[in-house]
Amino acid sequence: MLVIFEGTSQVETTVRAVLAEILGLSADRVATFTADTPLFGALPELDSMAVASVLTELEDRLGILIEDDEIDGEMLETFGALVQFAAGKALV
Amino acid sequence: MTGLRFDTYDWHGGREAMLRFGPESGPIVIAALPLFEEANRTRQFTCTILRALADHGIGSILPDFPGTGESVVATFDATLADQRRAYSELIQRLGTHSYALSIRSGALLDTDADLTGRWHLAPQTGADLVRDLERTRAAAGKSDRGDEYAGNRLSPEMLAELRDAVPCEDGRYRVVRLDADPRAANATYAGAPLWRRSEPGNDIALAQQLAADIAHWIASCEG
Repeated sequence: MLVIFEGTSQVETTVRAVLAEILGLSADRVATFTADTPLFGALPELDSMAVASVLTELEDRLGILIEDDEIDGEMLETFGALVQFAAGKALV
Repeated sequence: MTGLRFDTYDWHGGREAMLRFGPESGPIVIAALPLFEEANRTRQFTCTILRALADHGIGSILPDFPGTGESVVATFDATLADQRRAYSELIQRLGTHSYALSIRSGALLDTDADLTGRWHLAPQTGADLVRDLERTRAAAGKSDRGDEYAGNRLSPEMLAELRDAVPCEDGRYRVVRLDADPRAANATYAGAPLWRRSEPGNDIALAQQLAADIAHWIASCEG
């Protein structure tokens, strides 16, 4: 239980870093993101092309593979949803 | 004379433009930008590295390849084979110790040249590049746009070549990555992946660190 929790927080740190670095957001701003912070549709920096960059960078950093049919509005809706999705793939 | 100047080089298929920095004697660094959109995002950064190399007394060239930059060859008519050939013929004509400085998919262009060494920053395989292109196209909601990928029309031949293309790691080889990249590297540096941003950017501190890395490595190869 403790191992899973630690792993998830590492995934969360990675997702924060990727959003900051790819979208050009400050670390301070990304540090304020909570599970409910809306992403796709709310962040102007996160347009559909940036989505591709974010997902590919997450793949590279977490060593995961994201299939095209897994990419939908739900996993990009909030910061929490994206972290949960990434953790689900990374911590198998 | 370390100032930027324009020049051209001839290869079997035509003439292409190139930038030169630093001295024209001694070991020369040949910079290869990534293919397609990442080239725009990393050009200024790469030029910063080359200027810093000139400060280390090392000359460099940033060439266009057929189908890239100012080339009159249309993107759709570009092939990886032609780009590699132009690269190789440029090296041949220089007739000096030449070192590749290849960034991301630029590492797919230096494979056939008679180089003294290759220095790669975050090299990308052709298969990963094609996956990136297809994902970007799908994200833009245009998965049935035939031969267009994120604004670039690519020939089936080019796509087939890219799918099989891998960087060359033979001989004197050094691979450097950013520290968030878990893949094997001879050294890692802190920095954000400029090639993934939506707008061109720069990282002067990182460029200077990388130039120092290259300069030290070339000195060890030459020594």
